[in-house]
Amino acid sequence: MSTAMNFGTKSFQPRPPDKGSFPLDHFGECKNFKEKFMKCLRDNNFENALCRNESKQYLECRMERQLMAPEPLEKLGFRDLMDGKSEAKDNF
Amino acid sequence: MIPVKDRIIKVTFNADVHASLQWNFRPQQTEIYVVPGETALAFYKAKNPTDKPVIGISTYNVVPFEAGQYFNKIQCFCFEEQRLNPQEEVDMPVFFYIDPEFAEDPRMVNVDLITLSYTFFEAKEGHKLPVPGYN
Repeated sequence: MSTAMNFGTKSFQPRPPDKGSFPLDHFGECKNFKEKFMKCLRDNNFENALCRNESKQYLECRMERQLMAPEPLEKLGFRDLMDGKSEAKDNF
Repeated sequence: MIPVKDRIIKVTFNADVHASLQWNFRPQQTEIYVVPGETALAFYKAKNPTDKPVIGISTYNVVPFEAGQYFNKIQCFCFEEQRLNPQEEVDMPVFFYIDPEFAEDPRMVNVDLITLSYTFFEAKEGHKLPVPGYN
């Protein structure tokens, strides 16, 4: 660990999220999807890669209820989970 | 964005509230394992146990410091005021990814643990949100 005498060291710059803030789900409209996702994590040693369908479903729930700005799921990192896409895969 | 599947990173979660904020605030998972380039979802939970509405606002921190530049939040609950009514409890999601360039940075070679910390403050008029770090 560095010593405390490091004036002039860069400080951590918190950055706002790319797509802004999630509105609060005051009525728990997507709570079931959250519970499914959390159960998946607990059943899979908290390995995110094994629960991506569940996280996609949670975000879809939010989008359907105006709790998240609609966004193509391919742009949210779910391209590989989308069916029937035959066009060439772009990287983003 | 292509996941770097051979580079597993453990992300752990901290939750704090500033002394004047009476919310109960905690992460809903202690850890999650991700790889750079793979989007991930995690949850916090907040409850207002008082009998008055309370507005909070949060900031976050990432350690180790050098990994913070690769930590990208697509969407979360920070930097905007969040109002909880009396006795209300809500889930607070964070949707994020670690930039694939993390795996190319020689300084990150020994980094396999990243800790994300959120701190909630009470949002009051005229209250200046303390931003971590030196100004």
